[in-house]
Amino acid sequence: MGLPVSYSVRNVLARPMRSMMTAGVIALVVVAATLFLGLITSLKRTVAISGDPMNLIVMRKGSDNDGSSQLSLEAYQAIRFFDGIARDAADQPLASPELVVQPFLRTKDGGRENVLARGVEPVALQVHDKVRIVEGRMFQPSAGEAIIGRGVASRYADAELGKELQFGRGRWKVVGVFDADGSAFESEVWVDVRELANDAKRPFPYSGVRLRAASPTDLARLEKRIDDDPRYALDAQPEVEYYAKQSESANSLYVLVIGIAVLAGVGAGFGAANTMYAAVQARTAEIGTLRALGFSKRSILVAFQIEAIALALLGFAIGAVLSVLLALVLNALLGGIAFGAQTFTTNVITLRVSPSDLIGALGLALLVGVLGGLGPAWRAARLRPIEALRKA
Amino acid sequence: MEPVAAREPLIQILSVSRRYVRGVDEVHALENVSLSIAAGRFVAFMGPSGSGKSTLMNLVSGIDRPSEGEVLVAGQSLGELDEDELAEWRARHVGLIFQFFNLIPVLDARDNVALPLLLTDLAKSERLRRAETALRVVGLEERTDHYPRTLSGGEQQRVAIARAIVTDPDLIVADEPTGDLDARNAEAILELLRRLKNDFGKTIIMVTHDPRALRFVDHAFHLDKGLLLEGEDAERADRAVQLAAGGGLLSAAGAARPGGAA
Repeated sequence: MGLPVSYSVRNVLARPMRSMMTAGVIALVVVAATLFLGLITSLKRTVAISGDPMNLIVMRKGSDNDGSSQLSLEAYQAIRFFDGIARDAADQPLASPELVVQPFLRTKDGGRENVLARGVEPVALQVHDKVRIVEGRMFQPSAGEAIIGRGVASRYADAELGKELQFGRGRWKVVGVFDADGSAFESEVWVDVRELANDAKRPFPYSGVRLRAASPTDLARLEKRIDDDPRYALDAQPEVEYYAKQSESANSLYVLVIGIAVLAGVGAGFGAANTMYAAVQARTAEIGTLRALGFSKRSILVAFQIEAIALALLGFAIGAVLSVLLALVLNALLGGIAFGAQTFTTNVITLRVSPSDLIGALGLALLVGVLGGLGPAWRAARLRPIEALRKA
Repeated sequence: MEPVAAREPLIQILSVSRRYVRGVDEVHALENVSLSIAAGRFVAFMGPSGSGKSTLMNLVSGIDRPSEGEVLVAGQSLGELDEDELAEWRARHVGLIFQFFNLIPVLDARDNVALPLLLTDLAKSERLRRAETALRVVGLEERTDHYPRTLSGGEQQRVAIARAIVTDPDLIVADEPTGDLDARNAEAILELLRRLKNDFGKTIIMVTHDPRALRFVDHAFHLDKGLLLEGEDAERADRAVQLAAGGGLLSAAGAARPGGAA
């Protein structure tokens, strides 16, 4: 048996100031890593859950997002009666013609941001069945009314029930607030599609159509039929795929974040190494004593390595608590984190620190501890008892 | 004094030299020293600073290795063991006592004493029981949960002695055990070491400057400039130490005798 873990832990606690300073540096790395990871995970989750596995998005061929697509009334009329589209209780096809524009809205703190305004018909609530009105009601067509996602409600000036939003040429009275399970729709303003088309003076009334397939087989069949139809040059793709592509921009952020986290981790690793070298220096005689008493090199190596890991765990614990608190404070103060989507509109994300983000940060902290402690622990283990005892 | 052959030697030092390089100089810390120590004896290595007495103690306890010659303890040639084997051997056979006590500051008295038992297969409860027994032997049963910083120098050295005996080693090696203590505590420690020999049959080697030690040991080896003094030189050194400690007292207590075997 080697030295007990309590020996290492007590040594960490025996030098509270030095230990806290090192743990503090590690905690900062944990906070940075956790919040960055949390941000990206939240962003990816927001985009990823926006796609419904039973929905198809139909756009003009060559468009990579519905902001740059155009679709004629004729095309919409043709495809809404294709076989395989699910139908509602009144036997109407669940096909939602939609027009998106990107007007500016004023934020509560006085800035200006592009927001996605989506013109829809009432059927949109059945096609996008995650969208639920949680305050107020659905807009009335041609009444200058709008409903807004939760993210919009928390972030923009006048984005509240009864007030008017000003964008395009008109003013839009907010009559409802909707929830969409945290998806990207929560960052949108929905209005009547015809009113929006008139307001935007678009030559084509729609950007695209969302279709709900009756079954997975119908989904594949519909996709092929629309892609192969020579009349309108349309492209259909599953919503899930569409949003997965939209979230690809987050992948490059991942690389950046991991790079920053690793750099910060290297800095913290030097901090931990410095502390542990100082500990070895200060306890040379103690190490000599332990070796003289019969403890092997390995026992000493393990004991000092555990000490470095204990420091890292202390740093992780402090950092984890801080990052959860900071996420709460940031969400409360900023009304969520605004994130530019690929379409140049703003996604408002609620920053959540998930267990997987914390596990990622824990891994980084442990790496800092293990690598930072390795050199000092090795030096401690290699001390010859006779030389170490002379330092007494 | 018992005849040399009366007891089987526990320790045999055979033509041992220890040299090391300090800067550009080669230091001859020990030169061709031979001696033997029988089991159950309490002996002192004495001499001025730089005489080689600590080097000799380190060789006997397996903390250091000779440049030449052989050290045998209970028939085991220490030169045959690699560093980790030597550590294991020390854990089983040697109890170490240091001048500055060398207790682990973050462990209380009981855990300090139980430390060497971590290298055994004993269960925790048994380790703690034995640690408490050892603390009782040194008279510190009331101080088991005290940390080193809350103990006096004499008490810390007693804890260190308890740590040295807790594994029931054949050999106890003490490096200037009274060097950092006042006169009263120094005598108490010497008395305790003698009791370990008398009551428990331990073999004890002590490196010391302290002339009082002569009253307690069975034999004193005198070293000077890396050489073991023998014959008249040794007797002269012995007398000098007795004088330093006050001859009358020493003769009354039955002073140790010099020589090449104990």
